[in-house]
Amino acid sequence: MNMQTQVISDAIVRLEGVVKKFGEFTAVERADFEIGRGEFLAIMGSSGCGKTTTLRMLAGLEDPSEGDIYLDGQRVNGKATWDRDTPMVWQSLALFPFLTVQENVEFSLKMRGVGKVERAQRARIWLEKMQILEFAGRNISQLSGGQRQRVALARALVTEPKILLLDEPLSALDAHLKVRMQAVLSNLQKDLGITFVYVTHSMSEAFSMADRVVIMSRGKIEQIGTPQEIYHAPRNRFVAEFLGSANIFTGKLVEKAGDVWQVETAHGRFAVKASQAVAKSVGDTLSFVVSAEKMQIGALGAGVAGIRARVVGEEFVGASAILFLETESGEELKVQKSHGELASIDLHSGSTLTLHWEPEACHVLPGE
Amino acid sequence: MTRPSLYSLTLALPLLIWQLAFFAVPLIFLIAISFWTVRNFQMMPDLNFGNWERILTRSVFWDAYLRTAILATTSAVLTSAIAFPAAYAISFKLSERVKQWLIFVLIIPFFTSYLVRIYALQVFLSDEGIINAVLGMLGIGPFGMLNTTFGTLVGMVTLCLPLVILLQVFSLNFVNRDLVEAAHNLRCGRLRTVLAVIVPSARVGLVIAALFAFILSFGDFVSPLYLGGGNPPTLSILITDITKSGQQWPRAAVVALMMIGTLLSVAFAAITYAYKERGK
Amino acid sequence: MTGNDNRLINGALKLHIAACVLFIFAPILGSFVFSLNSDRFPSLPLGQFSTEWYRLIWEDPFVWAGFFNTVIVGLIVAVIATVLGFGGAYTDFRYNFFGKNVYLALALLPPTIPVVIMGLAMLAFLSRVNLSGSAISIIIAHGVMCSPFAMAIIRLRLSQMDPDLEAASWNLGGNEWATLRHVILPFTKPAILAALFITMAVSFDEFAVAWFVSGLNETLPVKILGFLQGQVSPRINAIGSLAFLSSITLIILAQMLLRNSTKDRS
Repeated sequence: MNMQTQVISDAIVRLEGVVKKFGEFTAVERADFEIGRGEFLAIMGSSGCGKTTTLRMLAGLEDPSEGDIYLDGQRVNGKATWDRDTPMVWQSLALFPFLTVQENVEFSLKMRGVGKVERAQRARIWLEKMQILEFAGRNISQLSGGQRQRVALARALVTEPKILLLDEPLSALDAHLKVRMQAVLSNLQKDLGITFVYVTHSMSEAFSMADRVVIMSRGKIEQIGTPQEIYHAPRNRFVAEFLGSANIFTGKLVEKAGDVWQVETAHGRFAVKASQAVAKSVGDTLSFVVSAEKMQIGALGAGVAGIRARVVGEEFVGASAILFLETESGEELKVQKSHGELASIDLHSGSTLTLHWEPEACHVLPGE
Repeated sequence: MTRPSLYSLTLALPLLIWQLAFFAVPLIFLIAISFWTVRNFQMMPDLNFGNWERILTRSVFWDAYLRTAILATTSAVLTSAIAFPAAYAISFKLSERVKQWLIFVLIIPFFTSYLVRIYALQVFLSDEGIINAVLGMLGIGPFGMLNTTFGTLVGMVTLCLPLVILLQVFSLNFVNRDLVEAAHNLRCGRLRTVLAVIVPSARVGLVIAALFAFILSFGDFVSPLYLGGGNPPTLSILITDITKSGQQWPRAAVVALMMIGTLLSVAFAAITYAYKERGK
Repeated sequence: MTGNDNRLINGALKLHIAACVLFIFAPILGSFVFSLNSDRFPSLPLGQFSTEWYRLIWEDPFVWAGFFNTVIVGLIVAVIATVLGFGGAYTDFRYNFFGKNVYLALALLPPTIPVVIMGLAMLAFLSRVNLSGSAISIIIAHGVMCSPFAMAIIRLRLSQMDPDLEAASWNLGGNEWATLRHVILPFTKPAILAALFITMAVSFDEFAVAWFVSGLNETLPVKILGFLQGQVSPRINAIGSLAFLSSITLIILAQMLLRNSTKDRS
């Protein structure tokens, strides 16, 4: 199977068959992908999925057990982190508490033997850019969470690297500040035009900032693609479930008529519009998803199958609401509709609805 | 403020009373007797500054004071320097199990008699002792190590090293590992990271460890006497000499109080330095 | 192993640890070896294996008397220091009050004052109040020196306790005394036992030897001072080794108690 959804002409990072084991435990099972120059790449997954380990291998804080990592065309296995040009922003930020804000920012310049005057100059440019120049002489402990974030960014960027690694840098901030810092990071990356590799467990962070997203689970890469690709065409059940808003059905392919396939499921036979990329033949088992907002409520059109399900809960999501329903066989379904549309239906907990959808609303999971 | 309950007093007071009566009061009593006089080998209550004058105008005292201060400082610096690479390796390079085990091993010396250890060191260091015997087999020596400043320092380092390593390990264990990685990531090499990141991060613990070495060495009388030969004397030896000669306890009290004053000043200075804040 | 780690440097560091441990333990091991050696001043090559020094102390009634005194004093000191230390640790754990720093300083500082000065001060004071020259003076001095150790051990255990446990007990109708008996004491029991053993060990080692060496009927500080001028016989090695073995037995017992108590928690 080919994980690489696109070939990158100008890759700054290439991972070839990278495996990382800690004793018996396999943190990264096999990573093969490239990161483009100037790209904002997010690596997403729940804790323990291997995303931070992957980032740390790029930084040179861990060495791969197998496989090769290329930075700018050069193999960097075994190369110390201080010999690479891969500054990282830590989840804890890892600011030096015994240095002032400006001394923190100057740190890597000092390590490169940059003279005192130039150091101060360059540091102040970055403090200015990050709008924290007024705190230059302060102690780290006197700064707020958002200000520390900016110091950490300035410290990592002061040497003007080609790539910046970020390990859940926003996780310590409150929701409001998080959104603001997302904008700061997005704009910063566009202005600088450098590569950002951003590790996070938050789908909203990854999807709102990244050009491409890598989804990992238990050390394996489940899917790589743009947020749109992943959202509209999840590759497998894991990704679809991870996205959280999809209804997943599994059944047997019984008939192919052009790109409209008939699938026999436990709930009946459904017409599914398949894309050309899926290689399945009659008799195969396949899974398809229907996203919550594409589910329809009410009377069936001619020749369209439906599912009856009982309402068990409701959750408001801004301008719309998500209904949680349960089929007779106990499976959970989700439907997302506007409040207006829901108001027109007689709705209460326990009422039974008929659900259906267009064949075009279905997406067949190619990886199942 | 509410009145303390019988319960809280029952728990808090015994220790307070004990340490007041048998620790604070004797030390205060020491201040008092420093103004007493001695007649016919008997101490008489008095308010006499003669003892202070007598001690503080003697070059014997000031020579001993300077010697003791230099010895203690040397011991503190030497012990810290020997201890640091070991503490660093224990804290950063060893597995949790080995670390625990080594910490236990380093606690053991606290439960051995210092006197016994010093006596054994005499056997190692003397002119016909074990070290010179080994050196002799290699065709070098013999070196006079007993009854020298070197001997005194060996004893002091023996006394201080386990404690200093342990205190350093505890403070190094608190160094945020992310900071070390961040420094590496920002182009800071191994040795430079130790100096630029680890030492400043662990400063409080390192200073306090050195302070303890200073305190122990400053008050130690066993090493200077048994390994250093006792002559010229250090302050502790001076105290014992003075008490032995004609019950001059008041004068010994003056020396003791000067020592306590010095220790308090050094401790205060060291702790102030350790907690000194950077930036505004 | 990443490029940030260097085998050679790590090896050198481990060698350095080994050298430090060797340096620290050479006199301790030396003392053991010398205690089993026939020479009065051992050197290389070592003399005959001999239990002569052990036989001498075995036959010395003063040593036996000293031994019993040490054990009795050690037991009494352990109880006193642990009771005092428990009160201090609980006070620090539970209460905030004006002058708490002074209280803690008074409780914890004694071990940092040089022994010579403590000896001088105590001897001067205790002889003034007619408490010198008896076992009581030794118990007093050891109580001062040992209670900080007991307090530190019990305080550490208390810091592992959820402060809400106490409040929960009050809430369920236990008054302060009942809570102390049924909640605090059971929780700190391993630390209390450890404190008993460790204070006894502290009381044993340094002072015990000084006492053995300089006879029986004087106060501790005088003994230490007297020891300085007295003759040291190689018997000190035999006595030291025995004292060390008993101390280390107590420490290992204490360690096992504390280990088990941390297991309980999880």
